[in-house]
Amino acid sequence: MRLLLILILFFSLTTARAKPEQKPVLPKKSIVLKTDSSKVEVRKIDSQAVKTYSKQKDFIYDDVPPETISWWQRFWNWIGNMLLKVFGSSIGGGLLKYILIALGIGIVVFIVIKLIGIDFKLLTGKSKQLEVPFEESLENIHEINFDEQIEKALQNGNYRLAVRLLYLKTLKRLSDHEVITWLPEKTNQAYIQEIKNENDRAEFSRLTYQFEYIWYGDFSIDKQSFEPIHQSFHQFNLKKS
Amino acid sequence: MEQEMFNQRTDLSQLNTAVQQIKETLGKIIVGQKDTIDLLVAGLLADGHLLLEGVPGVAKTLSAKLVAKCISATFSRIQFTPDLMPSDVLGTAVFSPKTAEFQFRQGPIFGNIILVDEINRAPAKTQSALFEAMEERQITVDGHTYLLEEPFMVLATQNPIEQEGTYRLPEAQLDRFLFKIEVKYPSLEEEIEILTNQHQHKTDEQLKEIKAVLSVEQVKSLRATIKALFVEPKLLAYAAQITHETRNNKSLYLGASPRASLAMINSAKAIAAMAGRDFVTPEDIIKVATPVLAHRVMLSPEKEMEGLTPADIIAQIIKKIEVPR
Repeated sequence: MRLLLILILFFSLTTARAKPEQKPVLPKKSIVLKTDSSKVEVRKIDSQAVKTYSKQKDFIYDDVPPETISWWQRFWNWIGNMLLKVFGSSIGGGLLKYILIALGIGIVVFIVIKLIGIDFKLLTGKSKQLEVPFEESLENIHEINFDEQIEKALQNGNYRLAVRLLYLKTLKRLSDHEVITWLPEKTNQAYIQEIKNENDRAEFSRLTYQFEYIWYGDFSIDKQSFEPIHQSFHQFNLKKS
Repeated sequence: MEQEMFNQRTDLSQLNTAVQQIKETLGKIIVGQKDTIDLLVAGLLADGHLLLEGVPGVAKTLSAKLVAKCISATFSRIQFTPDLMPSDVLGTAVFSPKTAEFQFRQGPIFGNIILVDEINRAPAKTQSALFEAMEERQITVDGHTYLLEEPFMVLATQNPIEQEGTYRLPEAQLDRFLFKIEVKYPSLEEEIEILTNQHQHKTDEQLKEIKAVLSVEQVKSLRATIKALFVEPKLLAYAAQITHETRNNKSLYLGASPRASLAMINSAKAIAAMAGRDFVTPEDIIKVATPVLAHRVMLSPEKEMEGLTPADIIAQIIKKIEVPR
């Protein structure tokens, strides 16, 4: 087997030899070049025609100022472009016209709704005011008849509510005298800080303390314990009347 | 007069003494940072986990260590690094040649107060190891559930995510922290005081002198007292409204969960107790609203690009909602 491989290698080497260099083959006939002897006709530009062309609009390449269009037209062009961007070329000119009309009507209706003050959730996404689930929040201290309400609470033996109404009445008085600025989101401490007069601030701070313990702390209060509290609120409000 | 009229229904004297002692202890070492100290104490009393965020060098880790020192409880510290594995935190089963069985070796999570330093340098896989521990106070390894000892509190520190090598924590984990307390730079006067104390070697001496002021049992008792405080139903509605509004606010991409409402009420109770009241006022809720909500909400990309922060949006939300009165 090994001998066979050596023989194959030997005979293959004898066939692999360099070829002699081949000389390039040249054509036997020379190529004849023909000269073009036809007459050349020189054409001249007609200056009159150039003048005529130069006056035509298509050949004036100067910067042309954009056509002045009204803001109304620009608005509708913008709407059209927006719609074309959204829907592509799938909508024809006629359909586009109807969409624009519908859009225009929609805008007018929206403006009218806004002007008359209707607050539609569907249109605005969410209500203007947060919905507050407790009835006290619907109160406006400037609309409550405090004396009547306090009397009613006392008749019902609801001293806790009476203290609350006394406190709100005090806030109203302070607001009326521009000592504080009434805002529903303000805390009691914020109102205390607003009072500039030190004595008033200390006294109102004490009233706030009483109100907080009774209202937020749910401390029980009867007719006997209500009296001194009523007196302290009354005296403070007298100074502000 | 008022004190006599409104006799306390709940005895808060022990709590007030403890709060005073903790504040004094922290105040000896930490200069300024009054709000941070208040929130740390409130978090401890409200049974919550706390995340302290701030740039390097503003005493985040020191504050957390001091809170831990105030309680005579087991303390563990875990330095979160990019190569930390869940088993490094929870523990792992090791084969015992003597018994020819696998035995569970507890990780550093088994302790009362766990300081997780630089929490946002570990990958999400390791962060996830804390989920069960933080919420359910237990861990499950190889099908076995191990209860963690009460009180269990995670005090984590992190650098802001803008810092090199940090990642944003998963929302699920952020939600498990009661507060994110932002530790700010000290004022010039405070910085001078820090330098003076350091120069006079006061800090080292004071650190050595710090002793625990509360036992584990006392912490449990104070927490039970706080849980029992009164909250007017209108104030529950007020807290719920604040949380609810975070879900409808267009400036926020992600709103807060109901867990945030619970956290707000629990921590407002702690704030009320620290003020000597056994009931909550709207001010207490407002005081805790930002530390409770800021890390649980996500800004919309537009508002983020405008440079607003979650705290700005929460302040806007609070201004929109009527204070119950």
